[in-house]
Amino acid sequence: MDSLIASAARALAVGDPLGALARVALRDDPPALALRGIAMAQLGEYDRARELLRRAARAFGPRERLERARCQVAEAEIALAARDLRGSPRALDAAARSLDMLGDHANALHARLVGVRRLLLLGRLDEAEEALAALVTEGAPATLTALAELARAEIALRRIRVTEAEAAFGRSHAAALAAGIPALVAEVERAGRALSAPSAKLIRAGSTRPVRIDEVQALFESGELVIDACRRVVHGPSCSATLAGRPVLFALARALAEAWPADVSRDVLIERAFDARAANASHRARLRVEVGRLRAALRSLARIDATRNGFALEPLGSRAVVVLAPPIDGPAGAILALLEGGESWSTSSLASALGGSQRTVQRALRELEEADAVRSIGQGRSRRWLARSAGAFATTLLLPGALRVR
Amino acid sequence: MHESKRNTRNKQADIVREYGPFPGVGRVHGVTFDGQQVWFATGEKMAAIDPASGQIVRELGVPAYAGTAFDGEYLWQIADDRIQKVDPKSGRVVATLPAPAHGRDSGLTWAEGMLWVGEYRARKIHQIDAKTGAVLRTIESDRFVTGVSWVDGELWHGTSEGEQSEIRKIDPESGEVLERLRMPEGAEVTGLEADRGDLFYCGGGDSGKVRAVRRPKTSAQR
Repeated sequence: MDSLIASAARALAVGDPLGALARVALRDDPPALALRGIAMAQLGEYDRARELLRRAARAFGPRERLERARCQVAEAEIALAARDLRGSPRALDAAARSLDMLGDHANALHARLVGVRRLLLLGRLDEAEEALAALVTEGAPATLTALAELARAEIALRRIRVTEAEAAFGRSHAAALAAGIPALVAEVERAGRALSAPSAKLIRAGSTRPVRIDEVQALFESGELVIDACRRVVHGPSCSATLAGRPVLFALARALAEAWPADVSRDVLIERAFDARAANASHRARLRVEVGRLRAALRSLARIDATRNGFALEPLGSRAVVVLAPPIDGPAGAILALLEGGESWSTSSLASALGGSQRTVQRALRELEEADAVRSIGQGRSRRWLARSAGAFATTLLLPGALRVR
Repeated sequence: MHESKRNTRNKQADIVREYGPFPGVGRVHGVTFDGQQVWFATGEKMAAIDPASGQIVRELGVPAYAGTAFDGEYLWQIADDRIQKVDPKSGRVVATLPAPAHGRDSGLTWAEGMLWVGEYRARKIHQIDAKTGAVLRTIESDRFVTGVSWVDGELWHGTSEGEQSEIRKIDPESGEVLERLRMPEGAEVTGLEADRGDLFYCGGGDSGKVRAVRRPKTSAQR
């Protein structure tokens, strides 16, 4: 490392990207290109930063494999911060393997965490969880521990494993404090607020109140029959049934649950399930068919008894019936509740899960996008929608080996 | 300028002792020896360790991002694109010279009124006039040049390129490599200076360490 490279790296380390640039702005040797790239990234000039790091990676000599791999990881992390997810993760995997082989295990871990965060941003929760489980974070630098635990917390939160999410947030926060990076601490704290914010509303025997995610988890473990309108699932004490994609059945189940223990008249059920004001004979016939289907779907969870007026829900093995509903009403609330699960959805799958027309769903998505509550990836038929909060943490750039470019 | 196949001595470096890492010291750049203490450059300051105890005994608030040297009275220290002449008693910078490679400079050593300055990626060593900074001549190496040291009429330099670090004796006229001490994997050489006995002190880069390596006997002693 030469004198100006060393002092520019030092300037970057103390958060002075302009000071770093002043030292190497006119140099085009590979370490100078890499440092300029990192400085540009810290200034938010992501496109320029990636171009500089790409040039640096190409310009390092054949023996400087470590430097080249670090540049590739930095470039991938900047792409993530810029929310550019088009690239192939293969280059990143290759860089991680090289770094491991060359003994730079910290940056290899960093590279793999960039991969996990990319999967989270793409709404590929299962793959992210699998990749994260394969990482060894024992003895890793505090910054990387903070990021790994944050990813773990995020996944646990989406899966409503609140105790696990709390523990992971706690470890992430402690590690971020130990690392002494204020932006990272702020990011962890912001993400952790999801634990205490109301995440749904609970309808029990006609009265409604907001609930936090830990209360949602407690509800799922309570043994009560939970008609979950956020995820479109009916949870019982020992099993559950998904009604996503069966909007009529779900509407019937919800109407019956909201009235429980009372029954619901046929006319009301027809109005709720078929959106029809005045019921006619063909509606009644259809209702019989749909109630039959619902009986089959809920076979091990509840009975649906015919009453003089209509139908009543009778839970099996549960003491009570409650409804968990999205915090806001209407299609936008229902869409948001589904996206909060952290997975990505296409417009057509949202429409079929919720039973709205594609047009209604598109209109609601547009509103949500304008309110910055959802975001999309991809174009045309491959376009997918995600909740804004899923994997939102990715803005703190750690930039591998920023200070170790020789 | 290239290694002669016939008689280059090539062996593993014998690391006698390691100093550090020290609290608050990230990277170790240049090193030098003032007869008693080992000085090293740590970025924002220079520090001196007592080689017997291994403790830091002095610190000077002089920017120190590359090579360090001692001329018998003054310390010389590269930072950014200049060479500072430092009074070790007061820590004051009494003179500055432009560094010959304009900030691409790495190692530094003193010999007979001249300074020898490594130019890292250009794989060069410049001899300059310590009064004016004028470049008198340039030797080419075939590896990145880190620390530079003159001792007993021999010119040695450190190199770290790729994952391979060495301490090399070269012919000051031709640049031919005469002797090589290979450092173990992961042990960078970022600074180099001989003491008055049989040791080299080496800056250990990111490890934050200073390493003492046994110096081979000179040809006269052999």
